[in-house]
Amino acid sequence: MADFEMKEGAQNDIDNEFFGVAAPDDAKNTIKRLWKSVNDQHKRLGIVLVSVVFYTFLSVVAPLYSAYIVDLMWGKIKEAFANDMLFSITWVDGGSDIFFLLLIYLLTGFFYFLQSFLMASFAENLSFRLRNEISSKLNRLPLSYFDRNKPGAILSRMTNDLDKMSEAFQTGILKLFTTLGMIIGSLVMMFRFNILLTVVFLLFMAISLLVTRAVSAKTLKSALKRQECVSEVTAMVEENFSGRMIIKAFNQEENSSRRMHKATEDLAEASQKADFMINAINPGIRFINRLGQIAIAVLGGNMLLNGTMSIGVFQAFFQYVNQSAEPLTELAFMVNSMQSSLASLERVYSLLDEEEISSGPVSPETIERAEGYVDFSHVRFGYTPEKTLMQDVSFSAKPGEKIAIVGSTGAGKTTLINLLMRFYELNSGQILLDGKDIQTLTHANLRKNFGMVLQDTWLFEGTIAENIAYGKPDATREEIVAAAKAARVDFFVHTMPHGYDTVLSNDGENLSIGQRQLLTIARVFLCNPAVLILDEATSSVDTRTEIEIGKAMGKLMKKRTSFVIAHRLSTIVDADLILLMQNGNIIEQGSHSTLLQAGGAYAELYNSQFA
Amino acid sequence: MKLILKFIKPYRKLMVFVLLVMVLDVAGGLLIPTITADIINYGIGGGSLDYILRQGLFMIAVSLLTSFGALAGSYLSASLSAKLGRDIRNALYDKSLTFSSSDMEKFGTGSMITRTLNDVNVVQQSVIMVIQMILPVPVVCVMGIVMAFHIDLMMGWILSGVTLAILIMALCVIKKAAPLFRRLQRFLDRMNIVIRENITGVRVIRAFNKEPFEEKRMSGVFGNYREVSVKVNRLFAGLESTALLVINLIIVGILYVGGNRTGAGFMKIGDIIALSEYAILIMFYLIMAQMVMVMLPRALVCIGRIQEVLDLEPEIKDGGATVPMIAGGTDVIRFENVSFCFSDADENTLSELSFICKRGQTTAIIGSTGSGKSTIAKLILRFHDVSQGSIKLNDMDIGNMKQSQLREHISYVPQKAWLFSGTIAHNLEFGNKDASGEEMQHILSVAQSEFVTELPDGLTAHVAQGGTNFSGGQKQRLSIARALMKKADLYVFDDSFSALDFKTDAALRKALKKQTRDSAVLIIAQRISTIMNADQIIVLENGRIAGMGTHQSLMKQCPVYQDIAKSQMKGEEVRG
Repeated sequence: MADFEMKEGAQNDIDNEFFGVAAPDDAKNTIKRLWKSVNDQHKRLGIVLVSVVFYTFLSVVAPLYSAYIVDLMWGKIKEAFANDMLFSITWVDGGSDIFFLLLIYLLTGFFYFLQSFLMASFAENLSFRLRNEISSKLNRLPLSYFDRNKPGAILSRMTNDLDKMSEAFQTGILKLFTTLGMIIGSLVMMFRFNILLTVVFLLFMAISLLVTRAVSAKTLKSALKRQECVSEVTAMVEENFSGRMIIKAFNQEENSSRRMHKATEDLAEASQKADFMINAINPGIRFINRLGQIAIAVLGGNMLLNGTMSIGVFQAFFQYVNQSAEPLTELAFMVNSMQSSLASLERVYSLLDEEEISSGPVSPETIERAEGYVDFSHVRFGYTPEKTLMQDVSFSAKPGEKIAIVGSTGAGKTTLINLLMRFYELNSGQILLDGKDIQTLTHANLRKNFGMVLQDTWLFEGTIAENIAYGKPDATREEIVAAAKAARVDFFVHTMPHGYDTVLSNDGENLSIGQRQLLTIARVFLCNPAVLILDEATSSVDTRTEIEIGKAMGKLMKKRTSFVIAHRLSTIVDADLILLMQNGNIIEQGSHSTLLQAGGAYAELYNSQFA
Repeated sequence: MKLILKFIKPYRKLMVFVLLVMVLDVAGGLLIPTITADIINYGIGGGSLDYILRQGLFMIAVSLLTSFGALAGSYLSASLSAKLGRDIRNALYDKSLTFSSSDMEKFGTGSMITRTLNDVNVVQQSVIMVIQMILPVPVVCVMGIVMAFHIDLMMGWILSGVTLAILIMALCVIKKAAPLFRRLQRFLDRMNIVIRENITGVRVIRAFNKEPFEEKRMSGVFGNYREVSVKVNRLFAGLESTALLVINLIIVGILYVGGNRTGAGFMKIGDIIALSEYAILIMFYLIMAQMVMVMLPRALVCIGRIQEVLDLEPEIKDGGATVPMIAGGTDVIRFENVSFCFSDADENTLSELSFICKRGQTTAIIGSTGSGKSTIAKLILRFHDVSQGSIKLNDMDIGNMKQSQLREHISYVPQKAWLFSGTIAHNLEFGNKDASGEEMQHILSVAQSEFVTELPDGLTAHVAQGGTNFSGGQKQRLSIARALMKKADLYVFDDSFSALDFKTDAALRKALKKQTRDSAVLIIAQRISTIMNADQIIVLENGRIAGMGTHQSLMKQCPVYQDIAKSQMKGEEVRG
């Protein structure tokens, strides 16, 4: 399931792109922060800016100069022809001018290369820096942040948002500046050459802008329709792949194939329309632009005829038209993409601005290895300020004791553990480890003393051995195998293709939940912590293996305090202290026999499981 | 590549049309500057306004034709790519239906989804790009050069030379870029995985104090990605700059040679403009083609991944039995010395199993996690094939049957209760598509799913994908109901009672007994209480049978069974 969540996140991102142009809430502030984020690259930006100015200037000047050359040559050619002679270029007759034009172009090329080469690493450096900032930020965020936000959304900040930003900034900033310079420069030149032709040009540009806008509304609609069909097919593929065993077991292959073909057919129709709309806009615009050019050519040709325009100017004018027509139609698009990348950046900054966990006490106490006294005293806690879950929880555990926490789903069992590990901060009250308030310890020191196995197993892409040795990277293979044997994973590891060197990918999807739980137990065995916490660590493991593990654990954890959350009461009857929780509070506590004798809620629960 | 050709084959005619309209588009693009040059030549040569206007009209006609070509090209290529995408997706999906579990595991569900959706998408886009950006290249080059030759022989040669030079340069860049892009993709995937792991594993990371380690690990991955990205960007920066420079150099060159040739009377001055435009057009198409080519390796990877799926020979093939099966015998399923080993694994998952599931009887399988219990169910359904020995359904080897024929006789409740999106009735119809409302109600009551009648929409109540809008116990009961809808010789319950409380479990088994009177029942379970009353219990340990018999006999003879029982019962109450 976790896998789909990520796709959902990515999907949402695509949707956003389609459903409207994202705009930053506070562009000014974002740009200011951006400026700070690139403070190590200011010099580079300065050089780029200078280069852009030169490049733009030269690009505007070059056609002017070539117009001059053409006129010059044409004049000489006409003169030569009039005298019945042939003309050829020499250094004096046009050669030096052409050479000079060559120099202009070489310089243009140089500046273009300089700026795009410098910018090639600009955005990636920025992304790299922000990614690292986020990654260290993630370690300082309170866990409540991760409860509130889907993994896909956070992932999207670090990948899609930053990739979009870097794509837009890498080429976008340059293009935006040079385009603007080019358009302005070209228009100035064109107005200088001929006002009438320039007005004609602008007229056609205006038409094509209007057409673009009208068509893009339609394009958006067909893109939306396609997106719907994509979602439909995506959902169907995900569902059918997940449920394929059932499809096969019930002989539903034909049926499901038919439904899939229908969905892909709908998608094909929708995407044909959408693709056509998107692709068709270019030829459409080009047609309008061409009509403009034809009008200019006819009018200009007439002027040539009258002698009111020189051939060089005519040619230069065309070059300016070429230089500014496409940038003008692209300008709106560029501004949009800049805006949406600023919006992406803003999301990244807002993640970096999230409230952090306290950095810990100024002069922390340290516990090298806890003896195992754990005390909760009048602990009050709620995940959100409005709703207090835990009113007043108190209990004490002595070294070597096994504390069992039982109760129905949502009773607050895991919350108790979360507080002990200091994943969340208390509203009031105290938790003591060996008599020291855990607030006086650093997070790292506190957690060093605990070994925890969670209900929801976490494995990373790496070998089985690496996964087991996560808490003790310098463990030898013998130690790893010993831990694996204790956790009863040795047998099935041998049934895997490369034994302990089998790489687990896709979140260990080739393992059953029970097997994954056993692996995470082996991980904790290897660490040999002072206090052990098992949060439904064996919920998907069968009872017999559970007991075997329990035995191994008992040997390993002798004289160590342990906390066990369990569904099956059979595994905890031997606990020294049982805490029965309900609605966040401990309603009964004591040993199995005393609680059973008391005949309260625990006794009832116990009897219901073994009736 | 073969893949694309195979899928494009049905649309050959469409392809030809696309190419034709493309030629129209390109030809128009080259004609416009030619006419412009003509206007100039006449304009300065003292022609008439009439002529210029005529040429203007001619240009409009050409533009119309060109735009028509371009539009038709867009339409046809959109159509082609849409059809291609549809066909490949259908082929992939239909292929996946023939896969066994281990076939599917070769790719992984996540990857199969990616292949069916994203990879096909990349292929589609690439096909459009190839059609629009690469196919016109030879047309542009040839036509441009021909027209240059038409203007002036020498200019023709120059343009041919330049085109050839750029072509060679482009090929070099592509060769260099291809491996770079493959690496970029790899690092991108890796980055996604590592970030994801850090988000989902935040508790574990903090519990183990691994924050600094993870930060370093991530930074390493980010660094790799940056390094390759910058390389790619620089390559593109170099490519663009060179392209720009070359265009400008050509313009200068044409100016110089054009001036001389005009001066020598071989061509007219206006032709300089036409030639420059030809050169720019050729360059433009070549550069665009180059950009597309650079992206193509990624598409090739996707094509390869699709091909992999389509080429995989399904592990499990239909048998070609001609003899009809005689149903109704007492031995519904017989295991004869069955062993099973995953390919590449050192040890057997199941070894030398022999047992019989009889009609009217309940057989139960109990054992530790990883003892191979669920694999037995999968073997019966032929989601895997046995490595040794044979399984017989109604005295016929299941390997000799069609898979659909085998599964017709078996109804199955999987370990993970999975419901399909739609309605409850829609899910129940899986078992029997012609079932009436009463039948459904009856089965629901057998499966202890009366809660359905209390829902506002009853049988037509909405089910979310996977059944996530129902609790674990409700999902299990509904998936049991779905299986009971089907009349079968054998009902297989793979750990299907685990989420039920003891009372419901007991009630359900009682109702079940009546419902499945004429069939064999196989229950795989972890709870002794669930299987205590079975006619036959098989105890599985490390893939071998550690004991077989009734609860009473096993409690006496089988130490493994005793262990399991002890672990689940209050010690003093274990009944012998």
